[in-house]
Amino acid sequence: MAILELNHVSKSFGGLAANSDVSFRVEEGAIMGLIGPNGAGKTTLFNCITGYYSPTRGEIVFRGHRINGLQPDKVCKLGMVRTWQKVRPLTKLSVLENVMIGALCRTNSVKAARELAARQLELVKMENRADFLAGGLPIGERKKLEMARVLATDPQLLLLDEVMGGLNPTESDDIIQLILAIKERGITQVVIEHDMKAIMRVSDRVVVLNSGEKLAEGTPVDVVNNQLVIDAYLGKAISDGTV
Amino acid sequence: MGSRLSNIILLLTLAALFFFPRFVESPYAFHIMILLFLSTIVGTSWNIIGGYTGQYSIGHAAYFGTGAYVTMVLMKDKQIPPWLGVWAGVALVIIIALVIGSICFRLRGPYFVLASIAVAEIMRLSAMNLKELTNGAEGILATELPAFRIGGRVLTDFVSKTPFYYISLVLAVVTIVVAFLVLHSKLGYCFQAIREDQDAAHALGINPTFYKNAALVISAIFTGIAGGFYAIYVGFVDPATVMSLDISVQIVLVCIIGGIGTIYGPLIGSILIVPITEALRSNLIAEAIFKTGMVSQESHFGSFLKENLAHAHALIYGILVVLVILFMPEGVVGFQRKLWSKWNKGLG
Repeated sequence: MAILELNHVSKSFGGLAANSDVSFRVEEGAIMGLIGPNGAGKTTLFNCITGYYSPTRGEIVFRGHRINGLQPDKVCKLGMVRTWQKVRPLTKLSVLENVMIGALCRTNSVKAARELAARQLELVKMENRADFLAGGLPIGERKKLEMARVLATDPQLLLLDEVMGGLNPTESDDIIQLILAIKERGITQVVIEHDMKAIMRVSDRVVVLNSGEKLAEGTPVDVVNNQLVIDAYLGKAISDGTV
Repeated sequence: MGSRLSNIILLLTLAALFFFPRFVESPYAFHIMILLFLSTIVGTSWNIIGGYTGQYSIGHAAYFGTGAYVTMVLMKDKQIPPWLGVWAGVALVIIIALVIGSICFRLRGPYFVLASIAVAEIMRLSAMNLKELTNGAEGILATELPAFRIGGRVLTDFVSKTPFYYISLVLAVVTIVVAFLVLHSKLGYCFQAIREDQDAAHALGINPTFYKNAALVISAIFTGIAGGFYAIYVGFVDPATVMSLDISVQIVLVCIIGGIGTIYGPLIGSILIVPITEALRSNLIAEAIFKTGMVSQESHFGSFLKENLAHAHALIYGILVVLVILFMPEGVVGFQRKLWSKWNKGLG
């Protein structure tokens, strides 16, 4: 069953079409990779889906609700939450408090939120950082904090915007393990990523965007062998099987 | 250990403040203490919207003035005792806060600041021009207050300053306690999340408009009560003393100097500012200088001091703000925390 469905979604800013006529479905429990060159409209699409922008045309359906133009907080309450390409820690709050903010989406009790948040920190292996100020964390831990924070909102669908950007291979590997662990819990994920190795490893299906349009869709293997995708984005080496 | 120590200090301070009227007779000391509490109340309530939620309102005179005017007008025109009238003021202040919030919270950052100033100026000009209600620029003077009775027994007739002292002390304590409770509740966490990053908070299920309005209403309620108290205490309201931009700015400065976003910041800021400015305003400092004999009252410089030092409180504000911004950008409380953590690290 599709948990998220995009039907002919377009978004333009004045005359500039950032997304045009994008349609795809994300199956419940699956991981969907979203790739494409810089400026392809991946983040704009995330902004449309999570309510920061209202699509110019088309329809976004999440768990049977049409969510076009629904505010981000309502979208989050429905069970869909996103992370940010450029991480946004609440710098003057502690790591635990950051995660608590996510948990408070589901509870009014600060105490319950604290317990929930502590569990998420264990999942990302940051329980020893609980009392640190979020502003003082290095980038790898900021990305993990971002993951713990969205998990605390008890989502059914996660939209991860380049959670591996700027990380070293070990840190990236941690995140890949985390993404797979989240899948184990039955949470659906849409992952924007430039790291093709990671995309190949985690995705069940991949959608390729180019100049705002959907260029291709299929299994990771289909996509990397698609001539259009090779020309527009990947270049030759990857399809040769070096990955 | 640290929190135990601060609890003991807190209890001792409260006890000292409670028994203060037993040992002090000077009405002037009472006056300064009352102003200090008043400044703490408005600073603490500003802190809820400005410090916790990060929405720098420079228009809090609107709420202060509304509380003051409603209490005063109801007492003078309708003979409603102020301790009841102030609640009508609070009701009006809540409505005004919601109207201001629904308009201004569409704006962010500096645009919100400018809008808050504009709205407060509109309120001031209204007070100036709605002459039938507010008596315009001349203001309203109340020469006597109704006695406060419970079951026919006169509890106080408000002739001495003592009842005002206790009322303002209780209000200050209540405001600080409420601010503390708010900060440690879901509300407080949502406020702080919005302050730190509104978009990130929005994505995590926090409705920024709702929580900003909630913060503004809580803040406005206590500012309005303080306004009502001030009107009754001074016995006079006019647009210049309760609605001016000066008031709005002073409220913010108390917080900047003490430490924005901290529970005790507004209290510390008030302790630093209120006594000095009051002493300057009533020429106590000039007299003290003459007493030391360093400057003769008759000399050229002496008469200069006598004439001008009373107006120097604005200068003192200015100097304090510059010093704080240069050397303690997080206010006195922030500075003290930094020292404290350095000290602890040094020990460890």
